[in-house]
Amino acid sequence: MSLTRRELLRLTAAAAAAPLLPRVALPEAGAEALPAGRFFGAGEMALLDQLTETIIPADAHSGGARAAGVVAYIDARLAEYDSQIPDLRSEQESWRAGLVAVDAVAREATGKSFLEASPEQCLSILKRLAAAEGDPKTEAQRFFVALKEWTARGYYTSSIGIHDEMEYQGNSMQVEFAGIDVATLPKTEGAP
Amino acid sequence: MPLLRAVTPASKEVDLKRRYDAVVVGSGAAGGMAAHALTSQGLDVLLLEAGKKLDIESELRSMEWPYDHPRRGQMPYSSHALSQNEYNIRKPPYAKGLAWKSVYSYVQGWGGSDYSKNMLVDEKEHPYTGTSYAWVRARALGGKTNIWGRLALRLSDYDFKAKSHDGYGEDWPISYADIEPYYDKVDLYLGISGHAEGLPQLPDSRFQRATRLNTAEVRLRQSLSRSGRVLTPYRAGVTTDGLKHNKYRSRCFGRGACARRAGGCDIHAAFDSPTGLIYPALDTGRLTLRSGSIAREVTIDPVSGKARGVAFVDAGSGRSFEARARVVVLAASTLESARLLLLSRSSRYPDGVGNSSGHVGHNFCEHVMGPSVGGFVKELVGRPRTLDDGRPGGFYIPRFRNLKDREPDFVRGYGFEGGSGTSMFPDTTQAPGFGGEYKKAIREMASATIGMGGFGEVLARYENAVDLDPEVVDKWGIPVLRFSFKFGDNEKKMCADMAANARQIFEEAGIEVVDWDGEMKTEGWSIHELGTARMGSDPKTSVLNQYQQSHDLRNLFVVDGSSHVSASCHNPTWTIMALCWRSCDYLADQLRKGQL
Repeated sequence: MSLTRRELLRLTAAAAAAPLLPRVALPEAGAEALPAGRFFGAGEMALLDQLTETIIPADAHSGGARAAGVVAYIDARLAEYDSQIPDLRSEQESWRAGLVAVDAVAREATGKSFLEASPEQCLSILKRLAAAEGDPKTEAQRFFVALKEWTARGYYTSSIGIHDEMEYQGNSMQVEFAGIDVATLPKTEGAP
Repeated sequence: MPLLRAVTPASKEVDLKRRYDAVVVGSGAAGGMAAHALTSQGLDVLLLEAGKKLDIESELRSMEWPYDHPRRGQMPYSSHALSQNEYNIRKPPYAKGLAWKSVYSYVQGWGGSDYSKNMLVDEKEHPYTGTSYAWVRARALGGKTNIWGRLALRLSDYDFKAKSHDGYGEDWPISYADIEPYYDKVDLYLGISGHAEGLPQLPDSRFQRATRLNTAEVRLRQSLSRSGRVLTPYRAGVTTDGLKHNKYRSRCFGRGACARRAGGCDIHAAFDSPTGLIYPALDTGRLTLRSGSIAREVTIDPVSGKARGVAFVDAGSGRSFEARARVVVLAASTLESARLLLLSRSSRYPDGVGNSSGHVGHNFCEHVMGPSVGGFVKELVGRPRTLDDGRPGGFYIPRFRNLKDREPDFVRGYGFEGGSGTSMFPDTTQAPGFGGEYKKAIREMASATIGMGGFGEVLARYENAVDLDPEVVDKWGIPVLRFSFKFGDNEKKMCADMAANARQIFEEAGIEVVDWDGEMKTEGWSIHELGTARMGSDPKTSVLNQYQQSHDLRNLFVVDGSSHVSASCHNPTWTIMALCWRSCDYLADQLRKGQL
């Protein structure tokens, strides 16, 4: 049985329950192009931006998570959460805690924060987290699973994701259904 | 949008001082059909719907792009949709103790849930108790037909005469020949898309243009044919050629995004009760509609002991009213109609009206779901993206178990619903990792994916039942249902066969299996509740006769799925409507003859 995203995040709530969590700090440079977060601080927005673009990068085929505005989507969603509802508050907290956990993994591996690490180091850190996505155990590993799911949702529901990347052809009037007319196929043999 | 929309007809003023020919409770597939069939026969009908009359086009907004919606189609975050896991680990009432502003059934967790939230009930206002059950309820004009899955199948004598075939349960008091003319009428009046296959277990309908199959589906069809099995284009309750007699519905334009469950169809090519049945009935001038009317009791004439009408609560004001009629027709859904019968207790009918048999609420059956398989066709990986969701459904594999053969482990059978190829939102769960490779994998797999899941017959058993909870009431103070419903051994063994076969069918077709699930979903998941007031010829063991007429009160009819004697494995909506039409013709004839 697979857990839903929300259930998964709820399981991480114990770690997230501490009221005074450290916040990811803004590095010296960068992040100017990002919109101001409604939920996340500037440092968190910058880190999320880097993470989401690494998960779904721009390539020769289409733009990536950054161009699709995935961070703004995640931020807006969490900003709308009513923190009076315990499940939503713990989900909000788990996002903050998850970012801190990723940074902690980066510091342990490289001595630097994720945003200060080299691109190769960033990739290697995420690969380590992704290796456990089938059975995530640490907070950072569980956070990666949630982050990947939400990056995919934000990206593939965006205009870039639907039109440029997936070249979706539907949601428009069609003269005839696409595909093969069964009446033109050879008769089903042996049908009762 | 180049489609003209006909103006929604207004209802006549409700007049509760008069006595209508018939009062119908519920406006879904059954209630809508009752309104249509009875007004066609010249009767004056009052239709009571518990929910609101919604502006359904602006609710559904079928062609809105996800990125044009502030939450990409999700409902407000202060609302919560119950998950499979919650159904597994908790017991009803599910909303109890939850801090969310609104709690909905699992259906609201599907993509596009902002479009259906106003149709489905809030579990906080509509609790129920007892055993685990995912009870999906709509309260809105049209009920669940606004968002139904559209698979429109006929039953056969393998179903109507199932006991004669395998010895289990009861035969229906009708045979296929009795209902066939009414299936035809439903097909022609509402429109159905499909391809004739000539199968005895799944009779063909009067089909309009069939949808098409894509490459992977044709491959599966051809592979199945080698073992004498069939894969046929989805038999959809959708008009693909249009309906000249109905100005409220457009033909299907293959716009796609039909998979945006629970999505509905804002041009009404897919059948829904308001545009298919109720608006045309209003146009006859013989139908009066009252929404926001929560039926709480069938009232009884103290002298004759017959039904006098329906007592209801106004959802807005909370005030109580009675609607009187010569005939009472319940069509509130399988479980709500049973609840209504049980709520109608009096000294004359201490166990509920129409319940001298003691069978009301019992023999509750449905379809079991869960076993499913997903995979891809290797040769199609990396091919250009195709348009595969520009159709109301993918494919259906009809029942092949216990027809000529006899399975040692279980009776009855199951079918598979499935589809292949691209949709607006790709399956992102199967690709591992991240980065360019992950992105490419999702892109290249989109046209190659195929998946299907089973729907199996759950046996009607007396001990699977609902009754009234002695303590818990809903928002309006009306006692709620208490479930006592569990899948049995036959269902478990059938699901094991279903799961094994799903995988085998794919492997034999050379489809790479990447996702396989053998687990049964929670009871109720199929949203096909049936059989709580079954028909039969013996008043001691059944609630209704073959015309869905109460054995006890001849002016009381129950025309929804509660009348079904067994569940079949075929989706019930088309049968509900065909049976209802047949019963309403009988009702009108009897009324004219003074027999009611």
